Amino acid sequence: MITIISAFITGLTAGGLSCLAVQGGLLASSIASQVEQNIKRGVKGKASLTHPLLLFLFAKLVIHTILGFLLGWLGTILQLTPLSRAILQFAIGIFMIGNALRMLNIHPIFRYFVFEPPAFIRRYIRKRSKNSDQLVTPLVLGAMTVLIPCGITQSMMTLAVAIANPLSGAALMFAFILGTSPVFFLVAYFTTQLGAKLEKGFSTFVAILLIILGLFSIYTGSNLIALPSLSGSASSVSINDLPVNPFTRAEPVQNGATITINVENHGYRPNHLQAPANQMITLNLITQNTISCSQAFVIPALNQQILLPDTGTKVMQIPPQDSGTILRFSCSMGMYTGDITFN
Amino acid sequence: MIVIFHVKNMHCGNCAMVLEGLEDELPGITKIAASYHKQQLEVEFDESQLNLDKIIQAARQKGYDLVLSE
Repeated sequence: MITIISAFITGLTAGGLSCLAVQGGLLASSIASQVEQNIKRGVKGKASLTHPLLLFLFAKLVIHTILGFLLGWLGTILQLTPLSRAILQFAIGIFMIGNALRMLNIHPIFRYFVFEPPAFIRRYIRKRSKNSDQLVTPLVLGAMTVLIPCGITQSMMTLAVAIANPLSGAALMFAFILGTSPVFFLVAYFTTQLGAKLEKGFSTFVAILLIILGLFSIYTGSNLIALPSLSGSASSVSINDLPVNPFTRAEPVQNGATITINVENHGYRPNHLQAPANQMITLNLITQNTISCSQAFVIPALNQQILLPDTGTKVMQIPPQDSGTILRFSCSMGMYTGDITFN
Repeated sequence: MIVIFHVKNMHCGNCAMVLEGLEDELPGITKIAASYHKQQLEVEFDESQLNLDKIIQAARQKGYDLVLSE
């Protein structure tokens, strides 16, 4: 939920202006011919502008939601391990920072952080925008925005893959595009000149916001990288020894210690735990109406991950750890973190 | 005739689409391709219908400055 809200806010701020810069031409084309037709037909006032505008935004929203669904589904197929997710988070962060540096014109090399659609796609979009069809043209052009994603949209798309859930991917892209819509609507509704002034005024702000988001993505990715055991002895668990089972349901060990973590919407409570060393540990993970990325619980060092239900208790077995070992855990996105210290 | 221009002020992918719209406005252009990455515009045109000055003027009206690449 936090990720989806963040996506909406990103769209509302950075995404709106960034996408407008890339797709504004399509929007203007969509509207211009329709307004002209409406005037000839005697349609006056706001209706002549809002109708094609809303059709454009509606089509854009639908196509990107479908795209998010497909990307989220792709993420499930790829079966990302914590390390793979970390690499993806790093890539997203670098991509965002690269785009920000491009917007600030730091160096020509950063232009390559934006995907440039092939010439034949650009040509088709341009030809299509000349069509004066009342209903279809704004819908088609709105749908075609998926072929010319701005840098931030591309970042959101990679995030949808990392989420590895079709519905969550769809929700993410829906929230992001919905966030971009007010900027599109307001700028197009008033004047394109106003849009140009806004873009000039906010470009630095957008770039700074992108850098912050990029650094955050790198930070969350770093939380997913397994830390080496502090003891380094032969009793440390090898990653290859452990199965990766998303629905572990082992019976509690009678002679081992039991620790419990409450999995909540905004993180784990407690998030710093102590456990006895050199014995099997039973970890209870309790959820209660939890709908959050925290449900995807990961211990990177053990290469173990588990998907928790909205409400209930799931059990994980932690193999014996040497004294002094600190096992970090986090959500699958690396946003909510915690650790277990073995003494 | 084929010419390649360096475009000074392309700032996003949309700029490439805008420049390629010259194909629809200037008779005589047989092929056109813009690249935001390379900041360049390649134009193939019929010299009997079009010249370099007209292309440069048309691009300037769209807000872009073209410089002939060597």
